[in-house]
Amino acid sequence: MRQRSLIAITAALAAGALTLTACGSRDDNGGGSDSGNGDTTVVIGVDAPLTGDLSALGLGIKNSVDLATKIANKEKYVEGVTFKIEALDDQGQASVGQQNATKLVANKDVLGVVGPLNSSVGEAMQKVFDTAKLVEVSPANTNPALTQGVNWAKEKERPYKSYFRTATTDAIQGPFAAQYVFNDAKKKKVFVIDDKKTYGAGLAATFTAEFKKLGGQVVGTEHINPESKDFSAVATKVKNSGADVVYYGGEYPQAGPLSKQIKEAGAKIPLVGGDGIYSADFIKLAGAAGAGDLATSVGAPVESLPSAKEFVANYKAEGYKDAYEAYGGYSYDSAWAIIEAVKKVVEDNDGKLPDDARAKVVDAMQDVSFDGVTGQVSFDEFGDATNKQLTVYTVKGGDWATVKSGTFTG
Amino acid sequence: MAVSGIGPVEPDGDTRPLDPPPDAPHPRSGPSARTTRRHRRTAAATFLALAVLAGGALLHFTRPRPEPPPESRFPSQTTSFRYLYMQVRNTGARSPEFEFTIQALTESDAPVTVLGISQPYAGLSLTSTPATPLRVNGDGSRKIAVTVRVTECGRAPRNAGLPFMDVTLRNTRAKEAHSYILGARYARDLSTALEVACGNRNR
Repeated sequence: MRQRSLIAITAALAAGALTLTACGSRDDNGGGSDSGNGDTTVVIGVDAPLTGDLSALGLGIKNSVDLATKIANKEKYVEGVTFKIEALDDQGQASVGQQNATKLVANKDVLGVVGPLNSSVGEAMQKVFDTAKLVEVSPANTNPALTQGVNWAKEKERPYKSYFRTATTDAIQGPFAAQYVFNDAKKKKVFVIDDKKTYGAGLAATFTAEFKKLGGQVVGTEHINPESKDFSAVATKVKNSGADVVYYGGEYPQAGPLSKQIKEAGAKIPLVGGDGIYSADFIKLAGAAGAGDLATSVGAPVESLPSAKEFVANYKAEGYKDAYEAYGGYSYDSAWAIIEAVKKVVEDNDGKLPDDARAKVVDAMQDVSFDGVTGQVSFDEFGDATNKQLTVYTVKGGDWATVKSGTFTG
Repeated sequence: MAVSGIGPVEPDGDTRPLDPPPDAPHPRSGPSARTTRRHRRTAAATFLALAVLAGGALLHFTRPRPEPPPESRFPSQTTSFRYLYMQVRNTGARSPEFEFTIQALTESDAPVTVLGISQPYAGLSLTSTPATPLRVNGDGSRKIAVTVRVTECGRAPRNAGLPFMDVTLRNTRAKEAHSYILGARYARDLSTALEVACGNRNR
């Protein structure tokens, strides 16, 4: 009798355990392996400043593209294709960027390129890529002329079919900053400084135009030499001008020391810049006096987007040494746009890459649309991102703090 | 059908059970032998039960958990505003005014409440019809007429290139202030409306 009871209990426990197991199990047949096992290798080129003053931003770009390819391989997102990256260092120099473009074109496995950081570098690369029908997606170029032509303010005309970007343009960023500085920060007299480069001068121009339209006064303008770190002469001019704010078109390696030296000259006024100064390194270079300085940057704060949480977690899990910085989310989305375009081309060709894959990827890119890290990713007729968001940040407690976000819906 | 990549290792040689040797003692069959057998069976059954329980519990607690529901988005990520048209009215009122119409759209199934609509320019004040707070249904749209009263022509943005509209939104996730830049056509129409509204008034 006892034996029967034991056998019955054992059977019941076994049945229960099997039920528990059955309830908890999931068909994992669809899961991927850790690496792509595709037969075809597709290389996504990366061009960014990986050394030098701007390397903090450049390494964030490279790592984020690397992460996108790893995720695509792990998920076997494109059947039969394994993605790899080839990252080249442009040192922030247009001439180096152009050489890199030629190298990437020569590698037949490269079907798309993410980068560069600097608009001036992008300008030098565009023609090389377009001639080779190789798609380029910049996560960071903001100069309007790159997509809308040099006469963009009067008549927009797309110069290169192969060039796309996920970042918002300075046609919006400059006026966005001017609106904030004039209306919200209540600053009426600005001293405008730029570094004479494509990005910096262009951004300063769009800021100035809107600031004047709003009724603001430009009390002085100066250009600086980006190779220099001594801005004491300009700082003195700012002090003597009576300006209540400085707008700087340029990047953080110069903006940090410039802000510091302006305050040291006795002008206790905020320095405002664009996405080029939105870096942790700006805060280090500007020092304690930089508290209250402002920057606009493209997009909403990545940390505030639920869509970005997975990116942030995956980036951390990969153990990259460098932060993803201002353009990490946009770089991931740029790479993923290329992956989506490759997927479309492969699927439209019976699962194989066609001979004219590069040209087909350019065509496919125009219709790419997906929920990315930074929101909905798609491109308008000029190759510009349709998602046009901007955020104002201020230096507070040794970090950048969000002040105001805006969306362009025009 | 999918097959697992790693199976049991095939054993070498004959795997049949061996017969007992011919001179092996016969097993005991007395009362004490029965007791021993019963104890063995009891111990074996208990061991099996515990093993099954432990295995089941392990599988249960380490089973793949269902994905948590996706976190809802901030209201500014699901809501957009489009400028539709401007209507300039000459009402002869002490403070000139004009009206423009916008369309609020939500891109998720969660409704959004518009708590307030304002603009950052000194010299202008806004009211809306319907009045705020107003609700926009999930995956829906709603037209809103905004009346602009010019309180001080000299401080109104006569020529703004990308004028802002500031909106306070709320959904189940958060309450959020956000700016919308309605574009070049809105900017042009706003400038024209301000010119008409203010005319030759003191700037």
